[in-house]
Amino acid sequence: MCPDREILSAYFDGEVSDPWARQIAEHVSGCGSCRAWLAGLDGTRRALAEERLLEWRAPMERVRRRILAHHPVERPRVSIWRRQVTLSVPVAGLAAALLLILGISLAVVSTRQDLGYIRITKAPAGGTEYQFAVPYDKVEALLKSVGGSDAAIESVMTIPKNVKLVPVGQPRMGKADEFPRKKP
Amino acid sequence: MRTRVHSCGIVSVLLALAVAHANGQAQGTDTDPKEALQELLSKALTVTVSARILPPDQQEDTPVWNAESTKLTIPGRSIKVRLDGDNVRIYLICTPYLQDNGEVLLLAQGQVWFTEPQDNENRYVSTFYSIPVSYGEKVLFFPLGAPGAEGQQKNHLNIELEIKIVPYEKKQQ
Repeated sequence: MCPDREILSAYFDGEVSDPWARQIAEHVSGCGSCRAWLAGLDGTRRALAEERLLEWRAPMERVRRRILAHHPVERPRVSIWRRQVTLSVPVAGLAAALLLILGISLAVVSTRQDLGYIRITKAPAGGTEYQFAVPYDKVEALLKSVGGSDAAIESVMTIPKNVKLVPVGQPRMGKADEFPRKKP
Repeated sequence: MRTRVHSCGIVSVLLALAVAHANGQAQGTDTDPKEALQELLSKALTVTVSARILPPDQQEDTPVWNAESTKLTIPGRSIKVRLDGDNVRIYLICTPYLQDNGEVLLLAQGQVWFTEPQDNENRYVSTFYSIPVSYGEKVLFFPLGAPGAEGQQKNHLNIELEIKIVPYEKKQQ
């Protein structure tokens, strides 16, 4: 019994492994019908691989030369300002969002004072006390921002040597009304 | 889906961002120097800082020691006073600002460097204040604590700094 044509085709392509390939070879050697069918396949392959290849390659080359004769390969120079960049819509949207964020960040950074911690206490007379806690590397910038380190006008007063001062509490500042003097 | 973007469009957007940023940083104006000087003088302020060391009971009118410094400045420009003592150094930095209502907002910073006599330990205290004041109104600063503070001992001297701000032009009249 002859093998199926699909199996024979697979055998012809070398896709059937042993022991099946050996059995098919034994059958083909003794079967004229199968041998003739395989010979037909072989002829078709040779015709496709050699004769038809030569047929289309030559016309293809002629067409290519004709095209190149009319349209040179070198592209015309486009100004960098007129050059177009092709982007997918998600990428273009992402780029636009990044530009927007960049713009807002620049605006915020150019106007913002970088202070670490601030506590504000309102005094009864309308004054306000600010206590700042900032990282050490920001202290210089903070002092500079309030004129602490670069105030050009400086007066120096020298307290007499014999006067010994002792802290009695936290520094205080306010309107004179907030600190009444003792009556004699 | 794809879209085409002109490279000049991208560059234009970046340039616009850079220009907007530069505008935010600085705005240049062309002003006549004489007019600018007159404008400055019309807003100039005289800041007087009087330092006093008062006796413990504060009943005497005469302080143990006093000194005064008067400086001319403009709104937004600091004046700095330094007091040097044997074991203390005090900085008072005053920056007056003019408010819309014609009064002055005094932004002040007090810095106190103090060395404890017993253990030779250094201390540093820095405080900021913002106080709305009228012209001529007195503001007091007690860098080592206010009189009558808790824990104050009777024999200790008190140091106080008095700040007074008046318009420069009015003072000349």
